[in-house]
Amino acid sequence: MNQPPTDPTFNERQLKRIFYRRLGIVVWVSFFCACLESMVFFALFDPEYLGQLSSFAVDLTRWQGYALGFGFFWVFTFLAALFAGVVMALPRTKLAKRPPHS
Amino acid sequence: MAIKDRQDSTSKPVELSLYKAHEKVYPRETKGRFQFKRKLAVVVLLGLFYVLPWVIWDGQQAVLFDLPHRRFHIFGLTLWPQDFIYLALMLIIAAFSLFFFTALAGRLWCGYACPQTVWTEIFIWMEQLTEGNRNKRMKLDKAPWTFNKIWRKSSKQILWITFALWTGFTFVGFFTPIRELAHNVWYWSLGPWEGFWLFFYALATYGNAGFLREQVCLYMCPYARFQSAMFDQNTLIISYDSGRGEPRMRGKKRREAENPGDCIDCTMCVQVCPTGIDIRDGLQYECIACAACIDACDEVMEKSGMPKGLIRYTTEKGLSGEPTKILRPRILLYLVLLLGLTSAVGLSLANRSTIDINVIHDRNSFYRIVDAQHIENVYTLKVMNKSQQPATYQISAEGLPGLRIISSLSNNTLVVPPGQLTELPFAVRANKADANKRIHSIEILVSTVDDITLSDSEQVKYFGYKK
Repeated sequence: MNQPPTDPTFNERQLKRIFYRRLGIVVWVSFFCACLESMVFFALFDPEYLGQLSSFAVDLTRWQGYALGFGFFWVFTFLAALFAGVVMALPRTKLAKRPPHS
Repeated sequence: MAIKDRQDSTSKPVELSLYKAHEKVYPRETKGRFQFKRKLAVVVLLGLFYVLPWVIWDGQQAVLFDLPHRRFHIFGLTLWPQDFIYLALMLIIAAFSLFFFTALAGRLWCGYACPQTVWTEIFIWMEQLTEGNRNKRMKLDKAPWTFNKIWRKSSKQILWITFALWTGFTFVGFFTPIRELAHNVWYWSLGPWEGFWLFFYALATYGNAGFLREQVCLYMCPYARFQSAMFDQNTLIISYDSGRGEPRMRGKKRREAENPGDCIDCTMCVQVCPTGIDIRDGLQYECIACAACIDACDEVMEKSGMPKGLIRYTTEKGLSGEPTKILRPRILLYLVLLLGLTSAVGLSLANRSTIDINVIHDRNSFYRIVDAQHIENVYTLKVMNKSQQPATYQISAEGLPGLRIISSLSNNTLVVPPGQLTELPFAVRANKADANKRIHSIEILVSTVDDITLSDSEQVKYFGYKK
């Protein structure tokens, strides 16, 4: 039923698929968490006041504050998820290339 | 010999693909009692979504999550950031309802109410409208690009894109007054944020309901991954009765068999499945409990003169012939928590005060000496007027004899516009002789001038004069 693949590009395509799937997971998970974080954060803090409090002069409307905050959160959740994604992929060493059960 | 052969063929390691390329699922259209209920759910839920922002209540949009002004209007109720606790509680209630219904009846949410399901239903309906039924759709995808194919595909895209844009527009209409938004769209003068979210949400709808579909449930949804934790043997699931159905067979084989099972192996249940699984393989995490297979199988059973319910809503216990127990500890626990939380939120919303105060003692000094007889403690008062009208507040202090409020206001009355937070620095003056301990506790009272019952108070420290 499951024939061993004979196509020489099989492995490459396989790796590409794994890569895109991981990237998709990283983007989706970080987006989801950034949404939640922004919701909780901006329920507690008004971006207009935060703009006045910051150490360098910024003139922000609320919408800009929300957007900036969301972007900021997304960058960090993305980095965290990316880090998790990268360390979850095992490095391609000789040991990893060895056929199983040998 | 046969055993040896099998051993030979399985002993060689076979390289398997871990990730197979996605194959498009072409769900066949079904009719039946459960599909009727699902369609009803689609009409009601989408109806609510598209109509609610246009409803006017007390002269303003009934449901408006006004982020720029930081307030939520929900049918005459106005929630401020200070009421964040209600949002948190409502999310907790939603989570417990999900747990409760999952434990009781499985993935009702997925099958009937999830936005992903609901919008996918509509998008598939549009696909059927333009490209025809399942067989026609499969043929069309394989066919070369003829005029017919281009015409059908592009009319589908036009329907999808229009509907997605309308969805994005409605979504933004929950956050910004929809009538103004409609005006802005008409004259093409959208602000950058409105414009971005409109197109972003339209794109999300188009992608999720048009292309990703069941993949959202399979790969993206967190609930699908943990819902099985709420399942037990008494949970309502959709299941194939293998005791009755097996051995499945069809055609000549079936006519010649002595005692065939009720399943005629027509694969209707597989063809109608929106996630592309075979329910006859047992309960699978891909199953979103849409009950399309029940309706399809019932129709086939009726045509072949056999009793309905080869695939049906049942429980694991029910399948093995044992009685199903509805009231069990986990159901009761979820129910008690749910009822308790709901009534607590309801009560507290009903008795919600329209004043919110916060009193902070000055950080720099404990007290200051005014003259030979008096000392003062300095505070900052924050008053939030959560009502829809301007309010006049009277500030007073209690807890020590002869306390006096000293502020820049005349008569210590403070006017706060509706929905505003006002800050006021003030001092409380006391006699040295009375405030003679290191720390006293006093109460700052804020009450409306017209209605004395509307008040709020806070206990604060008062640093006394002690030699």
